[in-house]
Amino acid sequence: MSRDPDIAQIRARLSGADGPTFWRSLEAVADTPAFRAYVESEFPAAARLAGAPDRRGFLRLMAASFALSGLTACGADSGRDYELPYVNQPERIVPGASLSYASSALFDGFANGILVTTRNGRPIKVEGNPDHPFSRGGTDILAQASVLGLYDPFRSQAVQHLGRPSSWAAFRGQMLARLAGWREGRGRGLALLSAPATSPALAAMVARLRELYPEMGWYEAAGATRESLHAGAAQAYGRPVETLPDFAGARAVVSLDGDFLDLGPGQVGLSRAWIEARRAGHAAGHLPALHAVAPTPTLTSAKADYGLSLSAGGIEALARDLLSLTDGGSGGASGARAGNWLRRAAAALDANRGASIVTTGLAASPELHALVHRLNGALGNTGSTLRHIAPLSPGGAGTLADLAEAMERGAVETLIVLGSNPVYEAPGGLDFARRMERVPLKIHAGLYYDETGAHADWHLPLAHPLESWGDARSLDGTVGLIQPTIAPLHEGRTVHELLSFLLEGEMRDGLGLLKAHLRRPDEDEAAFEARFAEALRLGFLPDSASPPETVALTGAAPAPAPAPAGGIEVVFRPDPTVWDGTHADLSWLQELPKPLTKVVWENVVLISPALAEREGIATGDVVAVAAGEARIEGAAWILPGQAEETVTLTLGYGRNVPDHLSRGLGYDANRLRPAATPWRLQGTKLAKTGARRMPATTQDLGTMQGHDVVRVQPEGAGPVGDDEADKPPSFYGPSSEDRGAKAAWGMVIDLDACTGCNACVTACQSENNIPVVGRDEVARGRWMGWIRIDRYYAGSLDEPATHFQPVPCMHCEQAPCEVGCPVEATLHDSEGLNLQVYNRCVGTRTCQSYCPYKVRRFNYLDYTEDQPAILQQRNNPEVTVRARGVMEKCTYCIQRIAAARIDSAKDAHAAIPDGAVETACQNACPTRAIVFGNIADPESRVAQARAEGRHYALLAELNTRPRTTYLAGLAPADGQKAPASSGQSPGKEG
Amino acid sequence: MAQLFTPGADAIYRLVLLTGVACLAGVPIVAAGIVRSDYVTGVGIAPQQPVPFSHKHHSGELGIDCRYCHTTVEKEATAGLPPTHTCMTCHSQVWSGSDMLKPVRDSYASGEPLQWRRLNKLPSYVYYNHSVHVTKGIGCSTCHGEVTAMQMTYRANAFEMGFCLDCHRNPEKYVRTPDQVWNMTWSPPPNQATLGPQLVAQNHIRGGQRLMECGICHR
Repeated sequence: MSRDPDIAQIRARLSGADGPTFWRSLEAVADTPAFRAYVESEFPAAARLAGAPDRRGFLRLMAASFALSGLTACGADSGRDYELPYVNQPERIVPGASLSYASSALFDGFANGILVTTRNGRPIKVEGNPDHPFSRGGTDILAQASVLGLYDPFRSQAVQHLGRPSSWAAFRGQMLARLAGWREGRGRGLALLSAPATSPALAAMVARLRELYPEMGWYEAAGATRESLHAGAAQAYGRPVETLPDFAGARAVVSLDGDFLDLGPGQVGLSRAWIEARRAGHAAGHLPALHAVAPTPTLTSAKADYGLSLSAGGIEALARDLLSLTDGGSGGASGARAGNWLRRAAAALDANRGASIVTTGLAASPELHALVHRLNGALGNTGSTLRHIAPLSPGGAGTLADLAEAMERGAVETLIVLGSNPVYEAPGGLDFARRMERVPLKIHAGLYYDETGAHADWHLPLAHPLESWGDARSLDGTVGLIQPTIAPLHEGRTVHELLSFLLEGEMRDGLGLLKAHLRRPDEDEAAFEARFAEALRLGFLPDSASPPETVALTGAAPAPAPAPAGGIEVVFRPDPTVWDGTHADLSWLQELPKPLTKVVWENVVLISPALAEREGIATGDVVAVAAGEARIEGAAWILPGQAEETVTLTLGYGRNVPDHLSRGLGYDANRLRPAATPWRLQGTKLAKTGARRMPATTQDLGTMQGHDVVRVQPEGAGPVGDDEADKPPSFYGPSSEDRGAKAAWGMVIDLDACTGCNACVTACQSENNIPVVGRDEVARGRWMGWIRIDRYYAGSLDEPATHFQPVPCMHCEQAPCEVGCPVEATLHDSEGLNLQVYNRCVGTRTCQSYCPYKVRRFNYLDYTEDQPAILQQRNNPEVTVRARGVMEKCTYCIQRIAAARIDSAKDAHAAIPDGAVETACQNACPTRAIVFGNIADPESRVAQARAEGRHYALLAELNTRPRTTYLAGLAPADGQKAPASSGQSPGKEG
Repeated sequence: MAQLFTPGADAIYRLVLLTGVACLAGVPIVAAGIVRSDYVTGVGIAPQQPVPFSHKHHSGELGIDCRYCHTTVEKEATAGLPPTHTCMTCHSQVWSGSDMLKPVRDSYASGEPLQWRRLNKLPSYVYYNHSVHVTKGIGCSTCHGEVTAMQMTYRANAFEMGFCLDCHRNPEKYVRTPDQVWNMTWSPPPNQATLGPQLVAQNHIRGGQRLMECGICHR
């Protein structure tokens, strides 16, 4: 299809009276004949299989199909022929039964509580740990994908010396001699570079190392560095601190390029707290509003009630204005464009002094962080809605720039890299790879033999967190424990074990190190073992959150930065799926549509519609972004809501490790990153190269044609939900509900709580063995996810309101798909599930074309046949691995329902209690946006949600009576998401 | 010109045609027969096992309960295979020098598991749970046959879908009282016609339509 919609024309359509209220993509708004053809072709995927055959060709194909059809039955019986019982049955391990362990998922060193489901001794799924005081039961996409990372065939499996296989014994042999030398030289010339770590056990070991080697250098590096966050706090308070918002007490939140809902170490805990505050506020009649300004759309700005797009430089001026306005001043530095937004935000903050929050994000400059601290101080929020705690990583670490400078001086003789990948992650200006060549001995320990591994003399494989003992802290300081769920698959060791070697010349085991750290000096062994066992059962040390620190503002607000010297502003962001590239080899994350662009398998250059219009750039044009000598080339993507003069580059791509999955995907933004301001670059040039390369995206996949797809409930307006009494007559027979079944499964998704974080999509992939199909297949429309998150825009191209809508199978009571199937491979059961029977399915795809919600996925190719053996171990044995040529779709996690049903059946059919069946998506959701249960039980949470005034069904006019239904999003009456004429449901979808 | 064909030629011609049609029609019947034959399904064929274990001797003659080895049959989806340790609980004392048991002792000493040939298996899209069947009064022998009479163990039933559905359709024909579940020689008592429906009601077995739904076994 053509991808060259005319932006001016789109603007005209959007502002016109007959323009769409909700739209998904520029192509959809332009409504070109090509787009219409795409949507109406039903099977964009099949349309490209081949040119339509002529009559003879058709007959030939049919004859061959009939003749060969019987052969499908001749497939080899792929069952095992042997059964291997244990020699000695381990306690608690029952073949085929699942067993969960509490542990912690690591996100740039920070912990989130998880429960790891293992089966037959193999971890297969990660669930949230509901008891964890910070993450409280949800997970993020990285935690879900970590189980794939464990089995990742690309993982480093052996010690390598100068690129050749070696062994731990050889490494130990060579190092023992050097240990004495380092000790003698008090560690001079020794430099340790660590990935971010919050482990208290590690911090204690680092402290001991520093005693042993006083002149040793300790550095910390990460692609998504938290340096400016700490530097900003230091500017404001004279020392670095972490800031924790307490949304429960907040009536208004102003986010100045904030990221509390975006992927990050705090995403799970913070988005849960924010949505809970919003729910509580809504119930009490005062919905806390989110005012957000951002240079580039983020999940946080997408959820804003009052949004504004402004360049990163402009936001600093805006923060000064806010500070001045809340101080009784007049503001005015940020210009007229921000006027309305600014006045409203300042008024909200002024009205809620001590009960508001001003927040900013990882990628904000230290100055903006300092300004935000001052704003919160002036508003009386500090200590009330905001808590400060001491930084969680071992203190006194140098930066990557310090290390690069030391290497340049020749002051580093031995560099030990612990889990980080500086050759890839370091800003281009540091020239890290060349400087690293000056170091005589380079040792790299990592999960992958990556760019740094290839530059090092020794590469040591690290153990995956799912096979390690360890500890780590959450953003609030709670100490989470990490316990192994499987013996190490390869030769990996943990960072703790490596450091024990540097300390003692002997590698101690992780469990011993952890116990030695946790045991209090005066504690007797039995008491400690009991305490340790209880902590392992919980997954964390109870009441270990960091105590709040008292902070006081020092000095004056930073002076305004000199006006930027023209040109285009580039902001750098971690990628919303693969983060800083650490997870770039995980196919689940690569194929996860990025929340806003829905692009998969690469990063794109995000530009604003206005800039695109001015420069004549279309989505898919390859553009070059240049600053001085450095330049990158990537496919442009016109993103509604992007600040006009700002271009966004995301990290994590442009990897170059031979044979790895991530090689050659996207561009490497690190090459352009300045070392001093790692998140922003002024004065760059943007130019078209003339080439075109259309990124693969799922944004128009499953476009539904209907009305009121997304609904918004303005505060104080009449309910926008469906009228339950109004059930039109139907030609279908009585539904199972009417036949009096015991349970009637249903799901309600709260659109106000959905932040578009994608955790449900990855969780579903993990639970249901959903295949990864690759970039080209996605481009053909063959993305296989069972739950998709549709992203809708409303309003203007430059400042749109953004809506997220997860769409799994609707399990319609009167399902059109079932009518279409010629072999009854899809049919209803008495509990209301729309079943898909793979062994009956012959692949006519009629059901897919009959489905108005477009939630059915077809296995065009055999995506699992060639799966490496090690990856097959991750598959959930409770779910069929689908073969080629069958249709599949969301089953409401029928395997979990079956488990609960069997338990209840064995217990004389006791009623399945509400909450006993949690679908994978529901369990993963950080904000509890998804509720699942028995709608026939009026006490169940799902039935109560269905009784709310904002409850509605998708495409209700089709009378399919879906079991999956929605709660309309909430909006203040004057918010940007409220429909222009409140009280009426929004118009048609584009 | 003389006639080329005798008057009887028509009859022969018709016979040949009919035979051809009959053969063609017979192909699917024969094929279906082959597919269902014990040769293909493996029913009644005892494969060579690493140790010639006799269910007849252990369970039938010595009276060892099924659950002594198949420990999880009442609690889990799988009945469980005994670890080598279970064999050695007796065979470290009894027949401790037997040649036949050498693989067992070797396995125990080396930690290498015994490799048993698999007898009963279901396609990967079928999910079966032992515990719920046993709890509801479906006995072992209904599916596995009279194992206590098997010198060498073989597959007693082919486990085709029709086999499962027969019972799911009419559970009252097969359901037993709890004390009879482990009885390997069970045959329906004379009062099964009245007892069966009683047990179905008592055990809350949702027969008929519900147990026939695809999602009960396929997911």
